[in-house]
Amino acid sequence: MSQQPLTLPDAGSRAGAAPRRRMLEIAGAAAIAATYVFLVLTQPVEIANGPASFSALVALGGFLLGAVLLLAAVLPVLPTSTLVLMPVAIVLNVVLGQLMGSTGLPFYLDAIGTVLIAVLAGPAAGAATGVLGSIVWSFFNPTVLPFAAGAALIGFLAGLAARAGLFRRFYFAPVAGFLTGILAGVVSAPIAAFVFGGTAGLGTGAIVSAFRAMGDTLLAAITKQALISDPMDKAIVFTIAALLAYALPRRTTFQYAFVRRFRVLAGKAPSDSAA
Amino acid sequence: MSLHPLTALTAACCAAVVTTAAGSWPLSVAVALAAALLAARAGVAARVLTAAGVILGPLFLSLLVLHGLFFPEGHTVLAQWGPARITAEGLDFALELGSRTAASVLLLLLFSFTVSVPDLVTALAARRVPPQFSFVLASTLTLVPAMAGRLEKIRRAQEARGLVVERGLLSRLAAARLQAVPLVLGLVEDAGARAQALDARGFGTPGPRTSYRQLQDPPAQRILRAAALLLAAAAVVLRLVTAWPAAVPA
Repeated sequence: MSQQPLTLPDAGSRAGAAPRRRMLEIAGAAAIAATYVFLVLTQPVEIANGPASFSALVALGGFLLGAVLLLAAVLPVLPTSTLVLMPVAIVLNVVLGQLMGSTGLPFYLDAIGTVLIAVLAGPAAGAATGVLGSIVWSFFNPTVLPFAAGAALIGFLAGLAARAGLFRRFYFAPVAGFLTGILAGVVSAPIAAFVFGGTAGLGTGAIVSAFRAMGDTLLAAITKQALISDPMDKAIVFTIAALLAYALPRRTTFQYAFVRRFRVLAGKAPSDSAA
Repeated sequence: MSLHPLTALTAACCAAVVTTAAGSWPLSVAVALAAALLAARAGVAARVLTAAGVILGPLFLSLLVLHGLFFPEGHTVLAQWGPARITAEGLDFALELGSRTAASVLLLLLFSFTVSVPDLVTALAARRVPPQFSFVLASTLTLVPAMAGRLEKIRRAQEARGLVVERGLLSRLAAARLQAVPLVLGLVEDAGARAQALDARGFGTPGPRTSYRQLQDPPAQRILRAAALLLAAAAVVLRLVTAWPAAVPA
């Protein structure tokens, strides 16, 4: 299985497009960050003033714009071998989530495929999978669409962790997941608070209620709930993704240039594909 | 006359945006009912309502418990037990957000359960959306039904080799591993083969594409789309302008 495309690359058009894509990436990340900061600054006044339409529109618009800009920057430059993994990862997000759900563990575990593709193909592929997964899955459940930016962040951070070699030792993977969960939970909290007014699960809803009973604002209560649930969830997701990456034959995992170049996984490349 | 996929998508999204911007529960309930009626006319009412129920049921319950009982900003107390207070403002807030989400969910489900995915992909390609996006969209939507069958085959094969799921957590984790690893391995292998096939057909190369499918895009529907977009933009601008002074602290 070679990584090289069988057709000649169009060198001229790629070189000119690189700065534009970098601009799109920065604009996307800036849109998400600016939206978050704006919502955190304006929220205390908003909730007392009736329906959160204003914040909902800002949250939806800003986060979706950021997610789409990131996708537009990343998607056209991904190699085909990564691209064909994305549908697999999106489906795995759901199927493995359900399979793990059948074990009775009280977590959502809905990002296993995203983390797996980030480990195999890098941060850009992980972020794009997060956004595309949210878009595709909204065909069945439209409420996941607003969380696209959070899903992109999970994929991106998982890819960075893989590049830094955190998946080479099994005990670092949950730590990386824990830290990712903190960031992703905090970024996703304004969506849950302003667009949906709460969380969909009854367990998470009970935790939010407890913080509300102590007089927290809705955003503060949901952020605290996310800080309780998400790091644990993502630590488990990263562990499962690491276990899967090591359970796959090395002939398969080492065919990805990202895995070979940054020595993402422990162990040596099999001799037949090392060339 | 059949709807162009982009017309249906624009209509669903713009209606959802206008409902969100309006933020009034009678409008949200009316939009949700209209979406349900349209779904019944299109013959997908059962699927749309089932999917919406699974999504909205837990959300409604959670909103009711959360805002119904704990709403520190509320003043009109209807009943009180210890720290839990039922306030009129809290119930109002739950109704407002619940009906708004319900309207948007029903609208988007109505779109996704009535759209023809090949038509949608054709329409996107004609709009110069990167072909990679269309590929992932169409490929995932066709992979989802195939996946259930594949997982079932793997489970049977493992059971034939002596997989017995017992009650303990460790046994269930082991069973999950025995099913997950072959599933992931098979899918990743398939993906590698597909990448070579796609590359051999020039999938990764830049340049214009032609499509085998042709879609009718009547002028009336173009005007309808433009009008819907204008209406949604106007609703958003109106809401942002009217809410701005109150929403931003001085």
